[in-house]
Amino acid sequence: MKKSMDDYQIINNIRKLRFFHEEMTQKELAQRVGVTRQTIISLEKGKYSPSLELAFKIALVFDMPIGKVFSFDLKETGS
Amino acid sequence: MTFQQKNNTVSLVSFVAITAFFLVRVGQLIADDNFSHQSVVRLWIVVALLAVIATIVAMIFTHSVATAIESVQSGDPDFEIDKTVDERDRRIDLEGTSVTYTVSSLGAFVAMVTYALGNSPLVMFTLLIFFGMMAQIAGDLKRLWSYREV
Repeated sequence: MKKSMDDYQIINNIRKLRFFHEEMTQKELAQRVGVTRQTIISLEKGKYSPSLELAFKIALVFDMPIGKVFSFDLKETGS
Repeated sequence: MTFQQKNNTVSLVSFVAITAFFLVRVGQLIADDNFSHQSVVRLWIVVALLAVIATIVAMIFTHSVATAIESVQSGDPDFEIDKTVDERDRRIDLEGTSVTYTVSSLGAFVAMVTYALGNSPLVMFTLLIFFGMMAQIAGDLKRLWSYREV
């Protein structure tokens, strides 16, 4: 079946990357990119999609290309 | 709860209290058959003053009292509340403002319809004030709901 754009969502590896960067806390990451800790929590839960600027800032903190931090994949259906 | 959520909660509580006071006073004026120009204008002034006072008190509460309480809870004397406003806060605020404008526009329409149907201008302005407060409440509710969802 052909997939529509609505079947895709922005997925991120922030939680995993924080772990591999000396278990960086959500608060520390939030301070480094200039947002609140709640925004980082929302991002990790996949509830909030960041602006391009914030996405680049987060990638810069982890010193990785943006494509390694964020991807545009099919939504999990839960089945 | 973030600084912005506290702001919205305090604003919501203040405006619910002011709207309740406004409705009770309007009810009393109608019951006493005293819905006159003088008493209604006096009520508008009282409500406007209450809104200004409530906004100032809410600001003091969120900036000082809440910080003091959280400082005591954290046990850190150098505790400082995070007052960062980021893109998520701005997006949620925009959604709330959109709801506020929608409700106030609807209120203005309803108020004008009542006037067009032959009611007194006092009724129209009372409805405008009522919907103004309802718009603020609806906007705050939308913001608080968005903070839970997004």
